[in-house]
Amino acid sequence: MTGESPLTNKPDIRIMSTPRSVDVEITSRCNLRCRYCYYFDNPEVEYRDLPAEEWLKFFDELGKCKVMDVTIQGGEPFIRKDLPLLIEGIVRNKMRFSILSNGTLINEEIAGSITKTGRCDYVQVSVDGSKPETHDSCRGEGSFFRAIRGIRTLQRHGVRVTVRVTVHRHNVNDLENTARLLLEDLGLARFSTNSAGSLGTCRRNAGNVLLTTRERQTGMEILKRLSVKYDGRISATAGPLAEARLWSRMEDAYAEGSSPFPNGGRLTACGCPSNKIAVRADGVIIPCSMLPHMELGRVNHDSFEEVWQSSATLNMFRQRHKIPLTEFEFCTDCPYLPYCTGNCPGLAYSLTGQVDHPSPDACLRLYLEDGGLLPKAEDKAI
Amino acid sequence: MELSNKPVANPVVVLREEFDDWAVLFNPDTAEAVGTNPVGVAIWKLMDGKRSLQEIVKEIEDRFADVPDAAIDEVAAFVSRLVESGFVGYDLEGFSE
Ligand code: SF4
Ligand code: SF4
Repeated sequence: MTGESPLTNKPDIRIMSTPRSVDVEITSRCNLRCRYCYYFDNPEVEYRDLPAEEWLKFFDELGKCKVMDVTIQGGEPFIRKDLPLLIEGIVRNKMRFSILSNGTLINEEIAGSITKTGRCDYVQVSVDGSKPETHDSCRGEGSFFRAIRGIRTLQRHGVRVTVRVTVHRHNVNDLENTARLLLEDLGLARFSTNSAGSLGTCRRNAGNVLLTTRERQTGMEILKRLSVKYDGRISATAGPLAEARLWSRMEDAYAEGSSPFPNGGRLTACGCPSNKIAVRADGVIIPCSMLPHMELGRVNHDSFEEVWQSSATLNMFRQRHKIPLTEFEFCTDCPYLPYCTGNCPGLAYSLTGQVDHPSPDACLRLYLEDGGLLPKAEDKAI
Repeated sequence: MELSNKPVANPVVVLREEFDDWAVLFNPDTAEAVGTNPVGVAIWKLMDGKRSLQEIVKEIEDRFADVPDAAIDEVAAFVSRLVESGFVGYDLEGFSE
């Protein structure tokens, strides 16, 4: 679909007829209270769960919209006793699914029921360290052993397991052992990394949890080394490893006087609104879990397809990529501007109160001004 | 491939028709996806187990302008690819238990 003008509410980037993927916050409850949780403590969110019948009705609509996969997240999805019923509703509608979990509530029964569907892409379990001291430092006592037990249970049932490691102040020096645990001892094919960000509960604990510039540099160096050692089995779309990769490219491009990056110099960081969308636990449709305040409609009340194609808020958000970074005082005279994408809009909103603003959290200039260093040239090929 | 074969689309496969004349066939059992164009979509919709490959080609020729002479080979190749990946089966005429 192409549209000519924001006045017609039509986006002028190519979007799919309906989203290909939907992130569903199936519950607003969780058995843990992690210190860096992005989800809780957001004053703009109503923490209330839709009953199963509502979700099932909505999954029927997703099926009619030919959505291909659903990512079940929360809160903690396994806290819902009716999760197998809800998964059945997804499968019945010819969709695949994946689950994001803290791993602590996974048992033989639920693992077996996931396997039986034949439609699970993966279950992602959060593991933040190689031992209770580091993992539990932010997630709470006992959560490490229970998460590892959850992973082993899934593996026994043949469910594909992935792990997300959230890097923070208390585990940055345990990354080497964490990689060994995950890739060698547990035999996972790969794991992904990000870092604690200034959202939700984490805002309250920022001073105690977020990486300092020095720690961020340490995280980059360690993860970069591990990424070489484990030959591509560690991935990242945010956090120190992603920053090490992107920022090195930006620095090289600047040093060599290269042409601007195709997506550089504008707020292009987020490509999600062209192919996916999210739903809060209370049934409110939002562009992404990182932007829970941007209410686009309500499931079983508004037509999902119509929200996707015609929501004025969503289509304005889809115009964000046109906004040049030169518009922001924050970016004035920045030499990296032609190579910069402005970073995550969710973090931008949390830190500046504006969605249409570059995020200071992943600003290369700020990092360098604060004394941060990037990986050495010979180590950049990662 | 026999031209008298009657292909039948796997009912579990989802057809996503996108804007700008492209479409995706998605098999949720295997996670495989195949991109296709309006002609592929038309072929897909005709594979109901009642029409032979030859009849499908005939309908495609009637519906679309500028169908090349080699259409039969292209349709057969497209259907074969879908058969190999489990998107399509054949109606087994006369099959009885
Ligand atoms: S980060 Fe996840 S596991 Fe931790 S409190 Fe938040 S929702 Fe629960
Ligand atoms: S100031 Fe930061 S966000 Fe702005 S262009 Fe430079 S690196 Fe990017």
